[in-house]
Amino acid sequence: MALTLQKGGNLSLSKTDPSLTKILVGLGWDPRVTDGAAFDLDASAFLLNADGKVRGEQDFIFYNQLRSPEGAVEHAGDSRDGLGDGDDEAIKVDLTKVPADVDKIAFVVTIHEAEARRQSFGQVGKAFIRIVNSVSGVEVVRFDLAEDASTETAMNFGELYRHNGEWKFRAVGQGYAGGLKAMCDQFGLNL
Amino acid sequence: MAVSLSKGGNVSLSKEAPGLTAVNVGLGWDARVTDGAAFDLDASVFVVGENDKVLNDQAFVFYNNKKSACGNVEHQGDNRSGEGSGDDELVSVNLAGLGAETKRLVFAVTIHEAEARHQSFGQVGKAYIRVMNQAGGTEIARFDLSEDASTETAMIFGELYRHGEEWKFKAIGQGFAGGLAPLAANFGVNLA
Repeated sequence: MALTLQKGGNLSLSKTDPSLTKILVGLGWDPRVTDGAAFDLDASAFLLNADGKVRGEQDFIFYNQLRSPEGAVEHAGDSRDGLGDGDDEAIKVDLTKVPADVDKIAFVVTIHEAEARRQSFGQVGKAFIRIVNSVSGVEVVRFDLAEDASTETAMNFGELYRHNGEWKFRAVGQGYAGGLKAMCDQFGLNL
Repeated sequence: MAVSLSKGGNVSLSKEAPGLTAVNVGLGWDARVTDGAAFDLDASVFVVGENDKVLNDQAFVFYNNKKSACGNVEHQGDNRSGEGSGDDELVSVNLAGLGAETKRLVFAVTIHEAEARHQSFGQVGKAYIRVMNQAGGTEIARFDLSEDASTETAMIFGELYRHGEEWKFKAIGQGFAGGLAPLAANFGVNLA
């Protein structure tokens, strides 16, 4: 049963779905009908070590780097306008393949060229991000971006992290002023 | 104390004004000094259901259809020049009376005879939309639209919408090139 995330909410995977090994992070939104530049939302993932930093550039999975070297994380490609039903972008994660020195995977959603286009999530119709158990197809958690993150342009949606030998999910739902660049700085990645 | 919204932002009216049952939505603007025809902006409301379309033909409320079929949305009349300070046009909404099938009320502003008069929003200054509690007249939320020179002739200012048990207001401020016809068509209103 999907939990609709409220800002600051927290979700324990071990309680909600202990069998989770393969997940899909889905991002969706409605294409723009009013005037102006299209809304182009981007999903990305950061593989982080125990210090909360990437080990190298290969740990940033996004539309220009679709796959992590060992195949644990795979981005299904960039949608530039949100056309079509359902998830417009998706990132697949196989938890069993994640390298031993990766402690955490952070999922981030950003608006492409948000400053130049003067856009924020609140302007984007029906923007959401969700996590689905790809084996069972059950949606685990969903965050309504247009409603709850309305004035943000970049957000750390949530993190998968190791805890005592199992994987857990922490729903973060917090925005970053300064957008993707600020998040990359935080994760030790120089763009 | 009124909440001032930025584009895309939203606020819960139910939380800001507990016990809220009815609001007045005011739209205002300054008409710049122009030669020739007066600057005539028209406020309208689309009463929209689950499928993002108007509920029925009378769910497009404007100066020639001042009341919705249910009677809960009422346009207070047409201001043809923007003269006067304060709200230039006003729409009253009885939130408590709206049926469950009403999901959103979208407030739009269009320029009357924009093509013929060669007018666009680029000439409009100090445009805003605000929501007031009908009981007591207190302003609850406001969106000041500081739009740069724009070639649009129709614009969605903002919307009142249901979110769970609450009524909320979202600041939109997005334009529609081509004016009222495509804007209305977007909500399922045929202007033929």
